[in-house]
Amino acid sequence: MSHPISVRGALLCATRLSAAVGLAAAVGLTAAQAAEPIKIGVISEEAAVAGASIRHAAEMAADEINAKGGVNGSKIEIVAYDDHSSAADAVRAFQRAVNQDHVKAVIVSYISEVVLAVEPWAARLHMPTITPGAASNDISKRVHDDYAQYKYMFHGWLTSAFIAQSICDGAHDNLVGKLHMKTAVVMSEDAAWTTPLDVRYLQCLPQAGLQVLDHIRFNPDTTDFTPIFNQIEAKKPDVIITGISHVGVQPTVQWHDQQVPIPMAGQSSQATTSTFWKDTNGATEGVITASAASPGVALSPTTIPFTEAYTKKFGASPSYDGYTSYDEVHYIADAIQRAGSTDADKLVDALEKTDYVGTVGRVQFYAKTDEFTHAMKYGKGFVTGVEIQWQNGKQVCIWPADKCEAKLIFPSFVKLPQQTAAQ
Amino acid sequence: MLASQILIDGFAISALYGLGAVGFTLIFGVSGVLNLAHGGVMLVAALIGWFVASEYGTGPFLGAALGILAGLGMAYLTYFIVVRPIQRSRVIPAAEQEIFILTGTLLWGIMIQVGMDYLFTDNPVTMRPMFPGVVNLLGVRTPRNELMIAVICWVVIGLLWLLVNRTRAGKQLAAASINPRGLTLLGFELSNIYLLVWSIYGVLAGLAGVLLASFLGVSSGNAGQLTASAFSIVVLGGLGSVSGSLVAAYVVGYLETVTAYLIAPTLRPIPALLLLVLVMYVRPQGLFGRR
Amino acid sequence: MKRLIQGPGLWIALLIVVVGASGPWWLSAYILGVLTSAYYFAVFAMSWDLLFGFAGEVNFGPTFLIGLGAYGAAILNSTMGYPIPICLVFGVAVALVGGLLLAVPALRLRGPYFGLITLVSVLLLRNAIVIFAGVTGGEIGMTVPDVLSIDANVNYWYALAFMVVCAIILFGLSRSAVGLILQASGQDAIEAAALGFNVTKHKLAAFCVSAAFSGLAGGMLVFYLGTASVDTVIDLSIAVQIIIAAVLGGRRTILGPALGAIVLLLADEALRPLGQLNTFVVSGVALAVILFFPDGLLGYLLHGKEE
Repeated sequence: MSHPISVRGALLCATRLSAAVGLAAAVGLTAAQAAEPIKIGVISEEAAVAGASIRHAAEMAADEINAKGGVNGSKIEIVAYDDHSSAADAVRAFQRAVNQDHVKAVIVSYISEVVLAVEPWAARLHMPTITPGAASNDISKRVHDDYAQYKYMFHGWLTSAFIAQSICDGAHDNLVGKLHMKTAVVMSEDAAWTTPLDVRYLQCLPQAGLQVLDHIRFNPDTTDFTPIFNQIEAKKPDVIITGISHVGVQPTVQWHDQQVPIPMAGQSSQATTSTFWKDTNGATEGVITASAASPGVALSPTTIPFTEAYTKKFGASPSYDGYTSYDEVHYIADAIQRAGSTDADKLVDALEKTDYVGTVGRVQFYAKTDEFTHAMKYGKGFVTGVEIQWQNGKQVCIWPADKCEAKLIFPSFVKLPQQTAAQ
Repeated sequence: MLASQILIDGFAISALYGLGAVGFTLIFGVSGVLNLAHGGVMLVAALIGWFVASEYGTGPFLGAALGILAGLGMAYLTYFIVVRPIQRSRVIPAAEQEIFILTGTLLWGIMIQVGMDYLFTDNPVTMRPMFPGVVNLLGVRTPRNELMIAVICWVVIGLLWLLVNRTRAGKQLAAASINPRGLTLLGFELSNIYLLVWSIYGVLAGLAGVLLASFLGVSSGNAGQLTASAFSIVVLGGLGSVSGSLVAAYVVGYLETVTAYLIAPTLRPIPALLLLVLVMYVRPQGLFGRR
Repeated sequence: MKRLIQGPGLWIALLIVVVGASGPWWLSAYILGVLTSAYYFAVFAMSWDLLFGFAGEVNFGPTFLIGLGAYGAAILNSTMGYPIPICLVFGVAVALVGGLLLAVPALRLRGPYFGLITLVSVLLLRNAIVIFAGVTGGEIGMTVPDVLSIDANVNYWYALAFMVVCAIILFGLSRSAVGLILQASGQDAIEAAALGFNVTKHKLAAFCVSAAFSGLAGGMLVFYLGTASVDTVIDLSIAVQIIIAAVLGGRRTILGPALGAIVLLLADEALRPLGQLNTFVVSGVALAVILFFPDGLLGYLLHGKEE
């Protein structure tokens, strides 16, 4: 005689079994999902201070996101590659990241030449890619000219055109408005990012009130700047507007040692790092440069906490591209969350809709129809960058006026217009 | 005014080129070695000098002294790790020694550069000027440091001349550069002479590196350029000829300076390169070469 | 040596080629990419070896010839839009002309002077490219509208086939009568001349062959990468890598440098996780090989066999 199995008992048993199976399946699925980290590739120049900053900041951001539980249950994993400041190496690293290591997004370099070499591969391999520090207009111009192919590329910092504009705006307020300067000489290194920078300088500096007396472009391999400074001094401008990134320590030190009586302002990327004072043995006193952020200035609620945490962890404050790299990891994670997947095209759509308050300001990208598609929006309320001046070993913020009110101080050998007028 | 600027600027940079080139040519003249790690040796001296001076707050002089010592150390390492094993090797055919030394020192130079990158990053470093301030020379505002560097270079070169022409060890050096076999027949130990020349080289290259850091600044990216530059000057002047190297250094230094001032800073290295090509075709042994 | 060709050597070589050709079926796209570049590099190294190993001239500037071929092809393609084969031929022509201009005077020099002239030629070409940035794209480089293929597998086979063909031609040359004369001229020029051979004419011929193959390989590389830049075809670091590859692989064997190039590029990529220090390690190993195994990998294998 078979054991009597009541229908009710069988149903109950079946329900419990299916519930158990369902639960196990759910647990299994989430476990599988949670076990699979979302990889973000970071390609940068380890040997350069600005390059190392990119990686450090990205790793910090990833740690923070993971501490809060990750994205959609998955952890973010940063996979780092050193490109040895070489475009060819960066391309190979990019191919490895995509094909071998299966990353979902790539953060690449602060050098325009490198980013421009990687960009066609982002298009070919359909990989969302963003740069935290390169400046060349071409990066976003390519996206505008061939959107279907290049939509995977994003420009996570101000393009050269807007960097120049912000410097002109600063010059208008400080150099012309407060110091009554009238003339300038543009001095920049011959590189991809300075070609559009200089074009914009030559347009907007006169509009800001500074007549451009000369425009000097020098080889990035230059080590002796004496002839250049002598050439500039012969023209007697009130200020030198710079566009330098590959060089920085040498021209600054030589400017100081030779006691060139003309102040330097503009963009000097190396001068934005906190170690620059030590690197130049203090010769950078009085140098003005545009930067992403300044110590002690809260461009947003997250600026100062990030700066302090980074400085504590790594012993030096972040380079300008550290801020942007940190923000990028956060809003990439945010985009993945909004898209609900890591599929490339969905991620691109979500990234386009980014509206994120990062350490450098409010991050949004220009649209398909704008001139600089996928570049960072510039302007009040978005990202403007700041201008800092080195004073007594510290970076002091001097622009924009609504965030910074410090006075400009120059070393004694620098001659300002009022002084020459008084003589 | 422009002429004075060119005169002074050119003089300082040429003196510095000269110091580096003299060491390079001495090594070739006495031991037949073209040391392609030359830039690396200068780099190490500059970086160590800077590091000591800034991390430990010692003055620029102590930093410079330690930098020179570092240069000396690196020269010895180059000799004992790369050059001597190749010279004494049983597996390398004698006729090909030169090629192997070239390749070996090239590789060693790369290792030095990457190693320095790793330890110090590729940021340029400058030594605090040993003699700060500016003076007015011929109506040109010139940093005191720049002048003193030129003076130091010439003093050292003078000392070297004294060493080679007035001391016994120096005369052996000179003899070795003309006829090493003859010297061994006379009973002199060549290995001691090689050690001496590498020591002198280490001090010269170390000093050149430290002074360069003080005047213009040095970064690991410069290493290759420094070697190529020394190589070019030495060949122009005549391989193995110290006076030739000095003259060539001034020719190159002034050519570059004049180009930078009167033509365009971007074209700075071109005329010197073209001159080198011309000399190679017309008089390959260089201006003062004897081979 | 003839034994090696007819004996097991030929079969080993065939086996390697067949295994290589099957790569796309069992290797990842990334490794295929590395090997593709490595195969072009192998041709650079083999061309260098013909000149050095056989004609005895240390060419510090193989990238002068490579760069001329690469940029010649790239500029013709981007300005005139001619199809790839024509641009390649043009690139070879430019490299040949450049090679002749360099070689005719340079071969009158000996030893370090020859090396220096080749070095200077690279510096001059680099400066020229940077100065005429309008046409050449300067330091950023230029993109070419046509590429060999977008498919990684197809690119791989092109590169492999190219390398094999070049290897056969160059190896054949090295074993021919011409090659033997070159070897004699390289090792003892005086005796070769005494025997009645026109040493200079043969060295010039070697130079031209080296130039042609270097230029062609440079052009092929450009149409593979889709860009030509100073970084990828002219930089001194490329020249250094070629020399290292050739010495590492075994000079005077033609095939050794090919092996050396492939090993070098693979090692470079394999050590990428080391970050900054991968170059240090690779250079260190190469230095050790030079000190203790100067005949290189292939040389060691061959001489090991003969003993």
